[in-house]
Amino acid sequence: MLFNSIEFFVFLPIVFVLYWFVTAKYLKAQNLLIAIASYVFYGWWDWRFLSLIAFSSIIDYTIGLLLQRTEVKSKRKALLWISICVNLGFLGFFKYYNFFIQSLVDSFTLLGQPLSINSLNIILPVGISFYTFQTLSYTIDVYNKKLEPTKDFIAFSAFVSFFPQLVAGPIERATNLLPQFYSKRVFKYDLAINGMRQVLWGLFKKVVIADNCAKYANIIFNNYEDYSGSTLVLGAFFFAFQIYGDFSGYSDIAIGVSRLFGFDLKRNFAFPYFSRDIAEFWRRWHISLSTWFRDYLYIPLGGSRGGIKMKLRNTFIIFIVSGFWHGANWTFIVWGALNAIYFLPLLLTNKNRVNTNIVAEGKYLPSFKEIRQMAITFFITLIAWVFFRADSVTHAFLYLKGIFSSSLFSYFEIFPVTILSLLLFFIIIEWLGRNSEFAIENVDFMNKPIRWGFYVGLIVLMFAYTGEQQEFIYFQF
Amino acid sequence: MLKFIRNIVLFIIAAMIAGEVVVRITHAVSDVPQRIIDGDGIQKYYPNQTGYSLNGEHTWLINELGWPGELPKSYDNLVLIIGDSFVENFMNPNECHQAPLLEDRVNEYSFLETARSGVSFIEAFEIAKQMDTLNPVKSLLYINDSDFYESVKEISEKQDITQLDISKSRVIHGKMKSPGIKKVLYNWKLMYYFYNRFPLNFESKKPPKKYVPKERTLKHANEVDGLLNYIKTKYRITDKILVFHPYSSKKLITKCEEVGFKVISLDSSNDSNSWTFDFDHHWTCYGHEQVANQVARSLKSSH
Repeated sequence: MLFNSIEFFVFLPIVFVLYWFVTAKYLKAQNLLIAIASYVFYGWWDWRFLSLIAFSSIIDYTIGLLLQRTEVKSKRKALLWISICVNLGFLGFFKYYNFFIQSLVDSFTLLGQPLSINSLNIILPVGISFYTFQTLSYTIDVYNKKLEPTKDFIAFSAFVSFFPQLVAGPIERATNLLPQFYSKRVFKYDLAINGMRQVLWGLFKKVVIADNCAKYANIIFNNYEDYSGSTLVLGAFFFAFQIYGDFSGYSDIAIGVSRLFGFDLKRNFAFPYFSRDIAEFWRRWHISLSTWFRDYLYIPLGGSRGGIKMKLRNTFIIFIVSGFWHGANWTFIVWGALNAIYFLPLLLTNKNRVNTNIVAEGKYLPSFKEIRQMAITFFITLIAWVFFRADSVTHAFLYLKGIFSSSLFSYFEIFPVTILSLLLFFIIIEWLGRNSEFAIENVDFMNKPIRWGFYVGLIVLMFAYTGEQQEFIYFQF
Repeated sequence: MLKFIRNIVLFIIAAMIAGEVVVRITHAVSDVPQRIIDGDGIQKYYPNQTGYSLNGEHTWLINELGWPGELPKSYDNLVLIIGDSFVENFMNPNECHQAPLLEDRVNEYSFLETARSGVSFIEAFEIAKQMDTLNPVKSLLYINDSDFYESVKEISEKQDITQLDISKSRVIHGKMKSPGIKKVLYNWKLMYYFYNRFPLNFESKKPPKKYVPKERTLKHANEVDGLLNYIKTKYRITDKILVFHPYSSKKLITKCEEVGFKVISLDSSNDSNSWTFDFDHHWTCYGHEQVANQVARSLKSSH
């Protein structure tokens, strides 16, 4: 079920009413309702893959309990590996099987020994990368004794399948979300209003910004040979806002909807395009994934504590794995490696934690230095996005070749004024709201009629400039 | 909680009012004319309606007889143009309709369109019979293979389409499908917009396929024979000219000629430009011009 669909607008009020008016007195009933609603939400797409979520839930719940019963290190390690193998096994099969087979065939063909292994017609279960990482975090935290294993299977199932963030995150840590299922939720007006506001802003990002940018990004990327360098830059610019609007929009809706049910999810985006260097960008982009890799991969590998060699190795590993997590294609691996290359100079010169505050905090406008830093950071991420969006590495290189050609300074062949005006409006609102968790969080300074007028204005823009309905990009990851 | 629900309800009402205004101003959905069923059982439109097409690029008009398009200046030498959505043609402006295009090309006749989406082959004859009071000299029936099949109850019973029950030799007039819901939906533009924008049916979420015309083969030959025999005995066919869409079944055309119909078989195969919209099998303005050229040539040669 898509957040931007009629089905969801029917589904959400029904679950909300049942949750607060029918099951509110019984915690177990509330958790059961969430689990059932989540399975309906997911099954709306394809009910067959519910078995994967159920199986993962049973395995990790059982392993959690078994980990509690034993203190024998080898047994504990074996249990942890069972969980890792089962979860990553599913992920590997559904997401990466064909990629590895194709890469193997290509490698042998290159060596003059053609192989004939057939690829499989596999459907990628929506959100598998997200819920796999979420359940893995539970087992790893229980193994590391950071978390008591739960004995409440219903609460655990609701945690794994929690519908607002099931298919595209934020990837929740068991330490944050699971305990919220143990205690009685109380409806808080301010939290719910805040949640509705975030849902509204998320929908605006998706329906107006992402879907409209997608139209032009698709045209330009699919016909890059026909356009000048300047238009190709515009195409990459549109894609940068498509993916930001799409993914952060989804996160906003997920967090906002969770608040309606009394849950508090982790922040996933913190105005990444206002970053002054790439290290800051990665602290602000897809935070739940970056911190997951930091805590469960980078730090166990030694992090940045060792020598230069270790720093280099760990940085490349984390960025390449992060790229590979996004999809089974060399383009994502190159995208990850490119970001590692951007990041390394900052890490090696110990400048990766220079910009930890909010840009131009307390001011309306940034300084010239900050503008320059933000522009450079945005431009290099733009170059990296070309690899992310391209169909193949060759496509990406040809696209970049087109950008850095003599036509870079020619007139744009495509210049949609309306969409660019909407983007300008969006960037201004995001800039003004950058001190908050999401751009329109702190609009209480407006009196009620103006505030409502602003909300209605956003809805009107959604009606008037709604793009072609598209699936959220991150569903495929 | 109650305060939250009250505020949400009030906000939804405010947003819906604003949305309704925006959808109407921007013409985010096409206006849909209201239909009635007249005393002869024929579905037509309430007279004298007008509305905007999608995005407000042009307006459509229902004339005082209840058919789309303008009335002719004179009813002398009147030629009726009977058809379905292809002739109704809400997707193109008035100058791309068959009546004005043919009037430009064949001066000796005046033309009147009597078309409505969903008109079957048998209903086209019912319409022609009703329009006899205007004393037309000819009737052009723009038809497709499916119009024949839809006309026969024995092939597939359809409540909303006028059909012939061959076994009982009886014409069953179509009924309007969910008229109440449609009336609400077409007047409540915002809801109609949502209905179009977010279809509940999963199939319609798939990206539309580009329309590629292909040659059709004759199906249900016995039922088509029964239909043609009924029409031959019950209606006047000497003044009817059947205008077959491109790629219609050749066997079907031959059958109609054998019964005694005059036939114009449209041909788009030698045209490098498409006659249809990319994702819709209806004709574009260009397509309508080509159709009018071929029909006009045929009318002149038979004059």
